[in-house]
Amino acid sequence: MGKNNVRYTSIILHLQEASMTELRLLPDMAELRSSLGDIVDRGQQLAPGFRVLLSSKHGLTIQIDNREEHVVEAAPSAGTVLSAFDGRTMYERAVVGFDREKVQRAAHDLVRETVFANYTPADESAQRGDFITPMQIDPADLSVQEKLDRCRELHRRVTGRDPRIVNSQVRYVELSEHSVFASQSADLAQRIQRVRLFLVVIVAGENGQIQYDYISKSGGAGWEVLNFTEEEIEKLVESAIALLNAERIEPREYQVIAAPGVSGTICHESFGHGVETDMFLKERARAAHFIDRIVGSPLVNIVDDPSRPGEYGSYFFDDEGRMASATQIVENGIFRRGITDFYSATALKIPRSANGRRQDYSRKAYARMSNTYFDAGTSSLEEMLAQVDQGVYLDKWSSGMEDPQGWGIQVICHYGHEIKGGRITNRVFSPIGVSGYVPDVLQSISAVSTGLRLDAGTCGKGHKESVPVSSGGPHLLLKARLG
Amino acid sequence: VILNKIIDALNKRSDLGGWTVRHQLVRGSQVYAVPNQTEALREVGIEQYRIDVLRHTSTAEGKEGVGSGNATLLPGGDIESAIERAVLTAGLVANPVHTIPAPAPLPDVPLVDAELQRDPSSVTKALMEQIQAAAATHRDVQLTAAECFGEIHTTHLVNSRELDAEQEATQVNIEFVLHSRRVDTDVESFAEMRRRRVADLEIEHEMERRARCTLDQFEAAPAPAWHGPVVLRREALATFMGGGVLHTLGSAEAKYAKTSSWEIGKSVFRHEVKGDPLTVWANRCIPFGISSNRFDQEGLPAQRVELIRDNELVAFAASQRYADYLNLPPTGAFGGVEIPPGPTSASALLAEPHVEVIQFSWFTPNSITGDFATEIRFGYLVENGVRKPIRGGQLVGNFLDALADVHWSAETGMLGSYLGPHTARFNELKIAGQDR
Repeated sequence: MGKNNVRYTSIILHLQEASMTELRLLPDMAELRSSLGDIVDRGQQLAPGFRVLLSSKHGLTIQIDNREEHVVEAAPSAGTVLSAFDGRTMYERAVVGFDREKVQRAAHDLVRETVFANYTPADESAQRGDFITPMQIDPADLSVQEKLDRCRELHRRVTGRDPRIVNSQVRYVELSEHSVFASQSADLAQRIQRVRLFLVVIVAGENGQIQYDYISKSGGAGWEVLNFTEEEIEKLVESAIALLNAERIEPREYQVIAAPGVSGTICHESFGHGVETDMFLKERARAAHFIDRIVGSPLVNIVDDPSRPGEYGSYFFDDEGRMASATQIVENGIFRRGITDFYSATALKIPRSANGRRQDYSRKAYARMSNTYFDAGTSSLEEMLAQVDQGVYLDKWSSGMEDPQGWGIQVICHYGHEIKGGRITNRVFSPIGVSGYVPDVLQSISAVSTGLRLDAGTCGKGHKESVPVSSGGPHLLLKARLG
Repeated sequence: VILNKIIDALNKRSDLGGWTVRHQLVRGSQVYAVPNQTEALREVGIEQYRIDVLRHTSTAEGKEGVGSGNATLLPGGDIESAIERAVLTAGLVANPVHTIPAPAPLPDVPLVDAELQRDPSSVTKALMEQIQAAAATHRDVQLTAAECFGEIHTTHLVNSRELDAEQEATQVNIEFVLHSRRVDTDVESFAEMRRRRVADLEIEHEMERRARCTLDQFEAAPAPAWHGPVVLRREALATFMGGGVLHTLGSAEAKYAKTSSWEIGKSVFRHEVKGDPLTVWANRCIPFGISSNRFDQEGLPAQRVELIRDNELVAFAASQRYADYLNLPPTGAFGGVEIPPGPTSASALLAEPHVEVIQFSWFTPNSITGDFATEIRFGYLVENGVRKPIRGGQLVGNFLDALADVHWSAETGMLGSYLGPHTARFNELKIAGQDR
C-alpha cells in the first residue's frame, strides 16, 4: 500500500504540472463548467451533497484489411448527470449535452423531487485541479490521414509473409474522454486518452479451415505506445499458422503457467469483480465474508490502481469525484478490502476508493475496476518452467466471466502450448477453458515471476455497462482444470 | 428542424455520391433496487444525428472507388463542420464501388408496448414492484438486487435516394438476483432479460423457475465428466443460438473478408448430419423480437431471410455494401435467429439420461471456428429417475458439430432474439467435469 501511495503522489504532481497549459475542454462543456458553481450552490440548498458530472466521450476506429478500408467516428456520448442523495436513494437526471438552461431546469426539477435535507454528507477535503493523460504523440495532433497512413504502413509490413494468410487486418481504436466533476468541495476536470492497435492475421488450411491470431498494443497514452517489432509480427504469423494444427485439450487438472494477460484475467474475474462492494450490498459476493481471511497462497498480492501511469484503465478521478489511488485488495494471500462506489461505501459504512465509474452519462455509477493486477514476485519464467514436467503454458486469453457468489471462475484462452520436461513445445491447444473454485486456484499458486504486464480490455458488469480497463500481472505457476 | 437543416446542407454539396442521416432519440427511465430500498431512480435522454456520406474516389492504380465517412452530431452541434469532417474522411479511402439503399416498402413489424411508450417512468416503477411482489411469494429466497430499464427508441432515417423512414420501438431490460442462505452456505440465481413488451417477460413464471433453481443449488454437486446427450431449453437455448457463429459465418461481410468458408449451395457442416436437418432464417420481422425492426441502420427493410435450408447455405445476410461487393441481394442486418419446429415432442427429448444446462457463465464461442469451452453455472444431471443439480465444469465442443447432431422440439417459443423450438437435445456433447 505504501509503495503504491508514493507512486500515486508522484503522478498527480507531474500531471498537475503538465495540465496547467494543456487541458482544453470542449467549448460548450467549458462554458457550462463556468456556471457549475452556481448550479451546485443552488442544488445544495435543498439537497446537501448535490453534485454534477459533465461527461463527453468520443472516438475513432480505423480498420484496414487486404480488401477495404474503414474510417469510422464512434458515436459520441455527451451529457450532464445531476445527482442528489437522500441517504437511501440516489436520484439522478441525465441530460443530453451541456446546455446551461436545460441543466439548470433539470437541477431545479431534481431537487424538488423529494426531501433531501435529512442527509448530511461526510466532510470531504477540497479537491481542485485539471488533469490530462501524459502523451508524446497526442492523437488529437495527428490528422485522420496521418493515422490512416500509419495503419496502412503497418498493414504493408504484414502483407505477403506467407501464402496461407488469406487476410490481415489492422484495427486502430482511439477513445477520448473529457469530464468535469463539481460538488461543494470539488472542481475537477480531466482528459483521458486511450489508444489500441490490433494486428490480426487470418489463415486458411488445406481443408478449408480458418484460424486467426492477433496481437495488440494499447495504453492510456498516445501513438508512442503503438509500435510493433519485426519479431512480434513474424511471431504472430507463425502462431496463426500453428493454430491450423491446434488440438482440443484433454479435459482434466493440469499444472499451468499463465502468461501475464491470462494472469490478469484470472485476477479480474476472481478478486476484481468479486470485491466490487456494490456486490457486497446485494449479498452477491462471497468475499464479503472473507475480509482479513486467507483466500490464496502467501505469494498472492492483488491491486487495483487507476493512478498507474500509462495504463488503459487509468484516470485521475472517478465519475463520483474521488481522486485516483491504489487499493491493495489481497495482501500476501489475505483479502484486505474491496473497491467501492459512493453508494455502497456509504451504505456499508466502509472507506471509499476511486472506483465509481459509469459506462457514460446515461448510466448510473457502479463499483468498477480500473487497472487490476497480481503484483510481481521473485521467480524467473525459466525457474517456473523447470518445475513443470507435464503441463500447459496459457499464452493468450480471449474472455472471462465472474461468479462472485459461487466463486467459480471461467477464463477462455485463445490458445496454449504443451509444457513437457520443463520446456514449451510446439504442440498447441485451442481454445482452452480454465475453470475452478477461486480459493483453490489462488491457493495453488506456487510461483510468481518478476515483472508484470497489463493488457487492455473492456469490462462489463454482468453483460452490460462497458468500461475500459486493464488487467495483468506476472507469470503465475498454478494448478487449474482445463477443458 | 435540425434534421431538415442537415438534409439541406447535404443537398447543397456537389461532391457527394450519396448520404444518409439518422436521427435517433432515446428516452427512458431506470429503477435500481438493493435489499429493502431503492438504490437509484434515473430519467435519461439521448439524442443524436448520425451522418454518413459516400464520395467517388479513385485507387492508387486509378481505378474507380468509393470512400465513406461519418460524423455524429449532438443537439446544438455545428452542422457544417460535422458534414465537412465526414466528407474529408470519405475522401481518404477508395473502396470498391458500392451504393446506399433505394426506397422500398417497409413491413409493419410490431415493436411497441403501448403503455411503456406512453409513460416509461410509471411502467418501469410498476415493473419493479411486480418483480418484488413475485419474489415475495417465494419465502425461501430473497430478492437482493434488481434493475429495470424502460426505453423508447425513435429513429428517423433519410437518404439521398429519397428513402424517408421512421420507426418507434420500446425496450425493457431487467436484471434480478435471488439469494438464499442455509447455515453458512449462500446461493444465488442471476436473471437478465430483454424484451420489447413488459408482458413478454412473464415475470411470475420466470420468478418461479429461478426460485426453484436457486434452492436446488443447495444440493448441487460438481458437474461430472460427461460425453452424451445435453439438453438446452428456453433462455439457455436462446443464448446458445445467439452466440454469434451463425451471424458471423452467415454474413456477406465475413465472406468478403474471407473469414467465412461457407458457400451458397453447400452444406454448412464439415461432417455428416446425424440429427434433424438444419433450417435457419435470419429474421428481422419476428413480432416484438428484440432484434426486429422495420428498417436497419442503412434503411434496408426488415426481411425474413432463409439463410440455411436442410443444412445447405441459401443466402448470406448482406448489408447494401457487401451485397454490392459480392453481387448478392441486400438483406440488411441479421436480426433474430428463427428455427422451424422440430418433429419430436419436448417431453420425448427429455428422455434419460441427459445433462440439462440451465445457465452458462458466459457462452462465447469462437465465431469463426465455432469452438467453445464454457463454464456451466447451473444445470441438472438426469439419470436413473433422479434430477440431480450440478454446477461448475465446462461444456466443450464445436457449435456447428453440435448442430449437426441435434433434435428439435415441436413446441416453440419466442425468447427475445430467438424464435423456434424451445427445447433441443444435442446428442453428443462433452462436459469437462469431475471423474465419476
